[in-house]
Amino acid sequence: MDAIRQNINVSQAVAEGLRLEMEADEHVLVIGEDVGRQGGVFGSTRGLQKAFGAERVLDTPISEMAFTGMAVGLAMEGYRPVVEIMFADFIGVCLEQVFNAIAKNPYMSGGATPMPIVIKTAGGAIGSAAQHSQTLWGLYAHLPGLRVVAPSSPHDSKGMMAAAVQSPDPVVFIEHKGLLLKKASSFSHGTDVPRERYTVPLDRAHVVREGRDVTIATLSASVGDALDAAEALALDGIDVEVLDLRSVVPLDWDGITASLRKTRRLLVVDEDYLGFGLSGELITGAIERLGLDGLDSVSRHGLANVPVPASKTLEQAVLPSAASIARAVRESGAGR
Amino acid sequence: MREFEEACARGVAERHIHGEVHLAIGQEAIGAALAGVLRDSDAMVSTHRNHLHAIAKGVPLHPMLAEIFERATGLCGGFGGHMHLFDPARRFSTTGIVGGSLPVALGHAYAARLRGDDAVAVAVVGDGSVNTGGFAESMNMAGAMKLPLVVVVENNEWAISVPFSQASATATIAERAAAFGARGVRVDGLDYERVREAFIDAVDSARAGGGPVIVEATCYRFRGHYEGDLDLYRDQGDKESRREQRDPLAMARAELLESGAADEPELARIDEEVRAEIGGLVQRVLADPFPDPETARRHVFASGLDLPAGV
Ligand SMILES: Cc1ncc(C[n+]2csc(CCOP(=O)(O)OP(=O)(O)O)c2C)c(N)n1
Repeated sequence: MDAIRQNINVSQAVAEGLRLEMEADEHVLVIGEDVGRQGGVFGSTRGLQKAFGAERVLDTPISEMAFTGMAVGLAMEGYRPVVEIMFADFIGVCLEQVFNAIAKNPYMSGGATPMPIVIKTAGGAIGSAAQHSQTLWGLYAHLPGLRVVAPSSPHDSKGMMAAAVQSPDPVVFIEHKGLLLKKASSFSHGTDVPRERYTVPLDRAHVVREGRDVTIATLSASVGDALDAAEALALDGIDVEVLDLRSVVPLDWDGITASLRKTRRLLVVDEDYLGFGLSGELITGAIERLGLDGLDSVSRHGLANVPVPASKTLEQAVLPSAASIARAVRESGAGR
Repeated sequence: MREFEEACARGVAERHIHGEVHLAIGQEAIGAALAGVLRDSDAMVSTHRNHLHAIAKGVPLHPMLAEIFERATGLCGGFGGHMHLFDPARRFSTTGIVGGSLPVALGHAYAARLRGDDAVAVAVVGDGSVNTGGFAESMNMAGAMKLPLVVVVENNEWAISVPFSQASATATIAERAAAFGARGVRVDGLDYERVREAFIDAVDSARAGGGPVIVEATCYRFRGHYEGDLDLYRDQGDKESRREQRDPLAMARAELLESGAADEPELARIDEEVRAEIGGLVQRVLADPFPDPETARRHVFASGLDLPAGV
């Protein structure tokens, strides 16, 4: 792919990915609040209604239970709906359809009823307090039957959205508000976005920065923070490998173990709640695969089982940042 | 109310507030009409666009503004922020989840039934919320149980970029009341007197055991959905003309002057007083401390249970 273009941000990349898939397959449609006329509150469906009409890019009432359930019926009719739940936090009002229908119908029907649905939603904290700042990938990941992905760059956002739409499985596609609002020029990785249609596999982690001393396994907006932390740590002679997981379900164990065989140290950085989530899963899985002797250290750093507070000082105290990630790496003993 | 909200708008512009803020500028006649009608024992549950309702319920201004400005002296110590105001003493709360305020108000209404007193519960919601499952379920239960629930719908015609006309099967919200065994009235929400009459009537009727009432007050929001919203989805000419010709504040002013209830110097003096009061409030809030980062884990559990960060 040679038609390289630098200047597109995550929201444009998602919209472009969707546009190309909608051009390629007339069964793809986008359903959600403000996705049409406004092109999404973050612009990640911008231009689609103009291009494909108001029936294929449907502005809905605030009726998540109804329109998420609609996706189930549409999928049974051969459509490939992309349902936008504006913020990941709002899934609560329609979770029933997500975990009882979308995630289970393929299984309960003995494989006869695939649910090629994308649940596209924005997670992450940008100052919006407890009801609008969750990422929730651990919650979705807990429900069998859902693929769960969260890209970290414009390049991956476009390619993973395309792959999600093409997937016969339901995919929970979690964008990050901070990344959606970030300028294209502020990304330190994944800025080359081909103009044409391409996919990024939904189950491959990506080594964004190679290093020898410790593997930071993370995803979404924390990848950028981990890269910044790695730069700071490099000055102290600590060589950090940054592994962008990209997918929570499934986890790319080949990629993860390959990195850990090299560094023998694992730090999981997770903007989601730490308890009963991605970090526990990753560390346990790594030990299961490499054995207790296969690693020199495991540790985790994330949102410390506390709702995200409103005030900036409190928010900074609970969320991972480049500085806190660097601190966590030092505490993990990677520098010794 | 206008002055308070303009102070919030400046708070965003000047980066004293780092989260989003939803203002109800242009909808003040409704907020004003709700003011002073309820008792502390009556509950009010509001939404993301909640400042005017909090003021109407008597939530004190300093802790309220301090919460919006994310200060330790705020109503919730800076843990809640603008969208999540809680004042238990006045039975006032909010939610940022559209439709989420209705079932909560239903609970307050049932509490009144359980206690056997004549308290009412008021849910103030936007037109968008009436399309949620929570609205239909709550209204049906309130109707079936004849609970003292008053739902005030601020129908500002828009749910972010989606117009009510496109999102609703019925032309009005008031007409939906019949399906729930409730009374429904629709009033001009720019007209303070009309809204106040309708609201007092609804509260009296619910208090007297008449069952749920929906008061639909029509209005228009002057600002974007939140501060920073470019608001490109609405017709700019229409917006301008409404701001110029249908400003409830200007309309109320004109009426006061016309009826002789007040004269220009008096209104100017009130303006001056309010500006000084809110200005002083902002200065006070800006001098207030931010919450101590060390306290971030406080309040996760009311028991004080503090799980270590690991689990
Ligand atoms: C369940 C849920 N879905 C979506 C949202 C995002 N959202 C916040 S406000 C809003 C529009 C609400 O419109 P309306 O109820 O008419 O109130 P208004 O903003 O006009 O005052 C939307 C879609 C949300 N907060 N909760």
